[in-house]
Amino acid sequence: MVIIAIPSDGEGGLKDKMNSRFGRCSSFTFVTVENNEITGVKTVPNPASEAMGGAGIQAAQIVANNGANELIVGFLGPNAAQSLNALNIKIFQAPNQELTIKEIVDIRLKGKMDLISSANVGSHYGMGRGGGFGGGRGRGSRG
Amino acid sequence: MGWEEGVVLVGAGEEEVEVNRSNQVNSFNLKDYKLMPNKPKIVCVTGGKGGTGKTLVAVNLAIMFKNSGYKTLLVDGDSENPNTYLLMGGQLENQTEVPFFKPKILEEECTKCGICAKNCAPHALLYIDNSVPIPILTVCSGCRLCYKVCPVNAIEPDYKVIGWTYSTKAYDVDLLIGELKPGEARSAAIIDTLMNKIENIIDNEPDKYDIIVLDTAPGAHCDVELLIGKADLVIPVTEPTKFGKLDLIRIIELIKILNKDYRAIVNRSSLLGFRDQFMEELNSMNIPLLGDIPLNDDIVASYCQAIPLMDADGEFDRSGEGYQAFLNIFNNLREWIGLNK
Repeated sequence: MVIIAIPSDGEGGLKDKMNSRFGRCSSFTFVTVENNEITGVKTVPNPASEAMGGAGIQAAQIVANNGANELIVGFLGPNAAQSLNALNIKIFQAPNQELTIKEIVDIRLKGKMDLISSANVGSHYGMGRGGGFGGGRGRGSRG
Repeated sequence: MGWEEGVVLVGAGEEEVEVNRSNQVNSFNLKDYKLMPNKPKIVCVTGGKGGTGKTLVAVNLAIMFKNSGYKTLLVDGDSENPNTYLLMGGQLENQTEVPFFKPKILEEECTKCGICAKNCAPHALLYIDNSVPIPILTVCSGCRLCYKVCPVNAIEPDYKVIGWTYSTKAYDVDLLIGELKPGEARSAAIIDTLMNKIENIIDNEPDKYDIIVLDTAPGAHCDVELLIGKADLVIPVTEPTKFGKLDLIRIIELIKILNKDYRAIVNRSSLLGFRDQFMEELNSMNIPLLGDIPLNDDIVASYCQAIPLMDADGEFDRSGEGYQAFLNIFNNLREWIGLNK
């Protein structure tokens, strides 16, 4: 059994859009997968979305406290990356497209996602930015 | 599980927790030396823009004070690029480490209660239920609250070196220098260390110096604020460009917030013949001036050779425009401070 955490818009859930920001998404959707099938979905609001600082660390805590072994992200900051690595949570790079949680999980389950281990944006990148992927913005370095 | 915002001092045990922020930068706990009659006069050379000649001015003012018989200390507070000693042909000597608090978590003692993490304002302790917290040092502000609130004393104060101070001497001017270790973020802690050293000197050897010249980093950030806050007189150095004007206005805003007396210096004032126009602009904004320094080959030569222009034994042309400009500034400064030598 694998629990995949995905930053989501709104309340979260399979039909909601993925949020490209890790620390400052509005909710997390936790998808339980057994034998390549989705067997459970849980949503958790992200209280760190408006935090002054340390949002990535708090978000990593939420991910780990809900038993996730994997995380799929758009943008990932340095403190979040450091925290997730310390917790041995696998990090996967989502494609640069606006997709639902269900679509994202399907891509992951087909094995079409790259594992990353380091930040792809700087500190406070997600502050004051709206959800969704920025138009045509390239991705930073992949680990 | 959720993390409530603004959780303060959760389950801190029986004793009231005293928040010791001694390792945090706090300009308000510095004594107001203005109340002490025989304290050295503190002159702060600053300026919003980089490369305007702050260090050049600070070095030559210190040299001129020394020439006039004042016991002078020059403090380099540009901790990311300390280079006053270079302009004076000096060496970095008497290195002292600047320690910065970091929590050391004793895993055998830790009950995994999470109280430290819940109280950590910058969220520098990564806590997963029923696990030993993991410090994320890059966000730790060094406030020691985790150490104070741990109910079982499982956190010990530990330290990392974030920079160094140096004390040296060049041209009979004492130099105190702060340097931030590359990659470290807490530069204000270096400035705080310099401040404590200055306070110690004033407390224990009040006669050691007549004049203390502070040289700041460019910008209007907390390092600069700490140094200006310590000064009796503030000298922002600018240049006759749009950048220079904008950054001068910004630094003057900061100086006014700190309620300090200031007079500006316009360096490279003859740049492309804009001097009069620039001076008129400053005048129309009621910015008081200490003087201006024209473009001058002697200044460039002194800079390149690391020989201060105003050195009493120097071989620069004493009737030159650069030399005369500095003399004029020094005379105005002496009058402003009310010095008689």
